[in-house]
Amino acid sequence: MADRTVKLEIRDMTKHYDNGDGVEHINLKIYEGEIVTMLGPSGCGKSTILRTLGGFLDVSDGDILIDGKSIIDLPPEKRPTAMVFQSYNLWTHMTIYENLAFGLKLRKVPKATIDEEVKKHLALVSMSGCEKKYPTQLSGGQQQRIAIARSLMLKPSVLLLDEPFSALDAKIRQQMREELKKIQSELGITVVFVTHDQEEAMALSHRIVVMNKGVFEQVGAPAEIYDEPASKYVASFIGEMNFVNKDGKTIAVRPEDVSITQDIGDINGTVRTIMILGHYVEVNVQCGDTVVKCFVDREQSDKLTVGQAVHLKFAKYHVF
Amino acid sequence: MNKETKRKLIAYLLVLPAFLTVMAVVAIPIFTALKTSFTDPDTGGFTLSNYGYFFTTPNELKNLGFTLYVVVVTVVLAIIIAYLLALYLRFIKSPISRAIGSLYLLPRFIPSLVAVYAMITIIRDSGLLNRISQLFGGDFKPGLMYQASGMILMNMWFNVPFAALMITAGLGAIPDSMIESARDVGASKLQVFRSIILPLSFKDVVIASTFVFMSNVGSFTTPYLMGGNFPKMLGISLFDQFNKYLRYERAAALSVIMFLICSVSAGVYIYTNLKEKEWEK
Repeated sequence: MADRTVKLEIRDMTKHYDNGDGVEHINLKIYEGEIVTMLGPSGCGKSTILRTLGGFLDVSDGDILIDGKSIIDLPPEKRPTAMVFQSYNLWTHMTIYENLAFGLKLRKVPKATIDEEVKKHLALVSMSGCEKKYPTQLSGGQQQRIAIARSLMLKPSVLLLDEPFSALDAKIRQQMREELKKIQSELGITVVFVTHDQEEAMALSHRIVVMNKGVFEQVGAPAEIYDEPASKYVASFIGEMNFVNKDGKTIAVRPEDVSITQDIGDINGTVRTIMILGHYVEVNVQCGDTVVKCFVDREQSDKLTVGQAVHLKFAKYHVF
Repeated sequence: MNKETKRKLIAYLLVLPAFLTVMAVVAIPIFTALKTSFTDPDTGGFTLSNYGYFFTTPNELKNLGFTLYVVVVTVVLAIIIAYLLALYLRFIKSPISRAIGSLYLLPRFIPSLVAVYAMITIIRDSGLLNRISQLFGGDFKPGLMYQASGMILMNMWFNVPFAALMITAGLGAIPDSMIESARDVGASKLQVFRSIILPLSFKDVVIASTFVFMSNVGSFTTPYLMGGNFPKMLGISLFDQFNKYLRYERAAALSVIMFLICSVSAGVYIYTNLKEKEWEK
C-alpha cells in the first residue's frame, strides 16, 4: 500500500463520561480499505471510541473526519458509517427482507432496486433465500450475517463492528471471522472492529490498536505487535509471554522462543510439568520463583522427565 | 394402582381446592345470576323484559351511553398519558426521570376512597383551587364535580400509573441496539418510533387498554362520590336496582350486560395474548 488515502481520522478526540471515565487525546488515522481493530479488556474505552464514530456518543473535545469532512455534528442517521452491534441488531417484528430494505425504503429507493440489492447482499453473506424468515428463526451466527449485510446495504464509507461475534460460540466465531475478511477484501471497505479477543484481532486486522485504560498502548500490524510489543502490557495481552526477572530488569520471552538445552543457558531450572498439546508440547520449568512456559517439539520432550534440571536459552526476547 | 394413575390422582387432588373454590364463588353465582336475569319477578317464568328495560328506557340507555363515554375517554387519555410517561422513563436518563420512575406508582398505594376524597377537596367549587384563586381576588370554580370530566380526571389517578407500569415493562424489553441500529440506517427519531418502538410495544398497549377498560366499566367508588344523579355510571345504576329498588332480576340482567361489555375487551385481551405473531414463533 504505497499511496494510501486516509479514510477516517480521529483528531485529538476526548470523551468524558459523567463519572470521570472516558478516553483522552485520541489520535488515529485509518486508511481506505483497511481493517483496524481496537483491542483491549472491557472498560478500556474501545467501545467508547467506536460509539463516537457511529454518532451514538457525543465527543467532549476534538474532531472526527471521514473523507476529510468533520462528522461530529451529524446525528447517527446522517453519518456515512454503519454499525453492527454485539447482539439484538435485527428488528424482530420485521422479516429479513424488511430488515434489509428498511434503510433504502427510508431513502425512497424504488422497489425493484431494493429487491435487487437485498438479493445481492444476501448472496454476499451466503444467506440467499431467507427473505421471508423472521430473525428469531435464524441462529445467532446467521443473524449477525444479516446484520452485516444490512449495514453494507447503505454502502457506508466506514463499517463499524462492536464485538459482533462475541456472543457466538467458538467454532462459528472462527467461521465468521474468515467470512468477514473475505467480504471486506471483496468490497474493499474500511472497517473498524472492536474486540477483547486477541486471537480475533490478530486473525482479522491489518492493524491493531492495543488499548489500556483509555490510552493507546501500541498501534501496528499484528506481526509487529506480536514480535515487537512496545510495552509490558502489550506483551502480556497479546499471545503467551513469560516474564523473567533478571538483574533488576524484566525479560519478556515467548514460549516458542525458549529452548531447553543441556549447555549453558540464560537461566536454570527444573522441569515441573510436561503437557502434550497436539503437535507440540508445553513444558513448564520452575526457575526460582517463576515458572517459564516453553513450547518444544515432541522429539525433544520425549527426552525430558519431570524433576530434571535443565538450562533455558532465549532465542528472542524483550527487556522492559 | 399403578404409578401413572397415582400421579394423575395426585395432580387432580392438587387442582381440586382451586376448582371447588372457583365453582362455588364464581361459576355457581354466575349461573344463578344468569338464570335470575331471565326470570319474571311476578310469575317466576321466563322473560326478556329485564333486559328489555335497559335497552328501551331512555334514561337507562343514557346511563349506558354515559358509561361507555366515560370509559372510552378514560382508556384513550390514560393510555396516551401513560405511553408518553413510559417513553420518557425509558429514553430520558436524568435524575428527574429516575425520581419519577420510582415515584409514579405511589398513587396505587393510596386507598381509593382516600384518593377520591383528596381529589374532591381540591377540585370542588369551594376546594383548594377555589381558595387559591380567592387569595388573588378571583373566584375560580373548576366545575368538575358531578360531571364526567371530574370522574375522568379521577380515573387518570388510578389508571395512568397502572398503564404506565405495563407499557414501561414493554418498552424496557426493547434492546437499545435495535433502536440504535435503526438510527444507524437513517431513521429519524420519529421514524424509529413509528417503525420500531410502536410495533414492538403495541401488544402491551392493547393489553393495558383492555385492563383499564374492564376495571372502569364496573367502577363504583369514583362515580358514587363524584358522579351526578343523572346520567349515572352503570355501577351506580346496578347499586340502585339492587339496594334501593330491590329489583334483583333487573340487577342480574344489568350485571350480565356489564359482563358482556367487559367480555368484548376480554376477548381482545385473549386474542392479543394468544395470537402468536409469526415473528414470535
